[in-house]
Amino acid sequence: MDEVEQTQVEQSEVQNVGYADIPGVALTDSNVISDFIKKTKVQDVLNWGRKNSLWFMVNAMGCCGVELLSTGMAHYDTDRFGIIPRNSPRHADVMIISGYVTKKYLPALKRIWDQMPAPKWIICFGDCAISGGPFYESYSTHQNIDEIFPVDVFVPGCPPRCEALIQGFVELQKKIETKKDKGTDY
Amino acid sequence: MDAESMIASLTDRFPDDVYDADIESAIRTAAKVKPENVVDVCRYLKEELSFGHLCCEFGVDYPDRNEIEVIYMLGSYEHPVILTMKALLSRDEPEIESVVPVYWNANWYERETYELYGVKYLNHPDLKPLVLPIEMLGEWPLRKDYKGFPNKTAKNLV
Amino acid sequence: MEETVGPSEMIVHLGPQHPMMPGPFRLNAKLRGETVVDSEVDLGWIHKGIEKILENKTYLQGITIVDRICYLEALTNEEAYVGCVEKLAGIEVPERAQYIRVIVEELSRIQSHLLGMGEYASFVGFVSMFMYTIRDREDVLTLLDSVTGARITHSFLRFGGVKDDLPEGFKDDVKYVFGNLRKAIDSYEDQYSSDSIYKARTVGIGVLTADVAKDMGVSGPPLRATGVDFDIRKDEPYLVYDDLDFKVCTHRDGDVYARIQVRLDEMRESMHIIEQCLDQIPSGPIFPENTPYGKRSPVMRIPAGEVFHRVESPRGEMGFYMVSDGSEKPHRVKIRGPVYPTLQTLPPLLKGVNVADIVAIAGSMDTCTSEADR
Repeated sequence: MDEVEQTQVEQSEVQNVGYADIPGVALTDSNVISDFIKKTKVQDVLNWGRKNSLWFMVNAMGCCGVELLSTGMAHYDTDRFGIIPRNSPRHADVMIISGYVTKKYLPALKRIWDQMPAPKWIICFGDCAISGGPFYESYSTHQNIDEIFPVDVFVPGCPPRCEALIQGFVELQKKIETKKDKGTDY
Repeated sequence: MDAESMIASLTDRFPDDVYDADIESAIRTAAKVKPENVVDVCRYLKEELSFGHLCCEFGVDYPDRNEIEVIYMLGSYEHPVILTMKALLSRDEPEIESVVPVYWNANWYERETYELYGVKYLNHPDLKPLVLPIEMLGEWPLRKDYKGFPNKTAKNLV
Repeated sequence: MEETVGPSEMIVHLGPQHPMMPGPFRLNAKLRGETVVDSEVDLGWIHKGIEKILENKTYLQGITIVDRICYLEALTNEEAYVGCVEKLAGIEVPERAQYIRVIVEELSRIQSHLLGMGEYASFVGFVSMFMYTIRDREDVLTLLDSVTGARITHSFLRFGGVKDDLPEGFKDDVKYVFGNLRKAIDSYEDQYSSDSIYKARTVGIGVLTADVAKDMGVSGPPLRATGVDFDIRKDEPYLVYDDLDFKVCTHRDGDVYARIQVRLDEMRESMHIIEQCLDQIPSGPIFPENTPYGKRSPVMRIPAGEVFHRVESPRGEMGFYMVSDGSEKPHRVKIRGPVYPTLQTLPPLLKGVNVADIVAIAGSMDTCTSEADR
């Protein structure tokens, strides 16, 4: 029985001959390169670069959004950690969910997440994004955001202070360094 | 013109449509209006009594009286008097004439009252949901008997 | 806006994720070439159902919720909410508490204008101004922090008083911060008025005339920039604004430049108000004496009735309509925010402008979508 299945698989592979079957050639749409790199020391070097250039997307969604703006500006100056606010999702590495995710906004948020190039991470900033916060019982908001998005870091507070967000970024850097982050399909 | 003369002028002009007029203080007045003629009353208030500022328009649900009140808060840029004008509608089929021809900014207030309470505005230029997604139309979430509140889907509810 | 697109027309969606103002909103603009033919505002991306939540909270719990209607004017929102309950229950606020309220609310106005103005500068490509205003805003926030214990959502006002008295040495701190802030505001004004690029992008753009603004129900700086001296603090005084000397800042032009100028002037007036308050503030209790208010608050029952109370928030007229049925929870709370009518003015204002001016006009209204959505 096993042998029969094996031969069938081999036959179907033979029919779909492509560049992927030529030895020594790896296509960019396969994971071969990244799978290979993950096993080597090269990944450590890459992660060192990634963790020190976490550009976040400015998406002020609530009270925490104001703290988000302040964090990126002169006083707290996250630029010194390589954490730079970007307005376009296509430039960003980190999406900060900084407020209540409503039923109307969730599809748009998913699309923004899809627009961001990998590797990418999510920080849940504030109680609303973590558990609904003061609006947990509302008819209009979505709860349990961590089931929808692969969240790496939760920053509690209502709203958290700017220092807490910087601490959240530091935690994310630690996770990236030890390769324990999730949702980054790189 | 002070609050008393304004209310007197209003009730004199519309003896049948305006009732229960009340002067609470020097700057707060209240009146009830028949829903059929709300546009005429608003036009008179705006043009003759200089109530040119529609503060807001919203609904209040009274399930035990089986009524929805539509409340117009009318203020002015010229005098400090505010008129609270109420129109009482049946809860089963709330319908009222739109005041957008008189107060331009009533547009969004009426759209919001429509999606939250189900009050149907006749002759509104563009009656569609404003803040809720289109799928939630028909749930009327701000009515007192709305079933989806409180939302209990959060897994960490204590 | 009609969805059909004519020849050489297209529809561009700005938002919901956009850097135009704090909070997502969407503007669908129909363009012919570089010109906006028609536009439509799409709200509700962060509609939280605050009005429904307030109906299911006790009066005291409501204070934390109204904070979060608009996070830049939390204290004036509280004032409107608390004022409603005080009117219904007939609570007299002691004079010292009233002065403290005025101080924190005016501080909150300064920080809101600093953010709004600086953010606006970044929309027209003047990002360094944003850095300056945020730097100075942090000082004001530190002052607020020292009184209320929070930077943004304060939950500081209570029925009949305030949570805490002013900290020791507050007057000196204010003096120090305002000394710097005065110089800073003068320098902002210098930079604004001397920058020819900034002027080219703001003078004569998005002109709102007084009649149109009144017809649209606009209030706050966008209205005062058209020359109408409508200010709730003067027209319907609450707290101790009657005893204070301040003027309503207006401007004639009604364009984008005028709106920013009005905000600059208002910050100076607010500083003037706070300094008067600190000189005049009497000593005394911060809660009415011989009442349960200010003690560890029990569940309050408010007499049945209906009340409308409005205050001047940084963005204009903020009003609460409260219906109480005599129980410990309100029957209905309607929030009348100033941003709601101001956002409605965008489609007519944007008709016929260039694409690049959309951000300049929408940003100059200093709108906070969270408050419009509620």
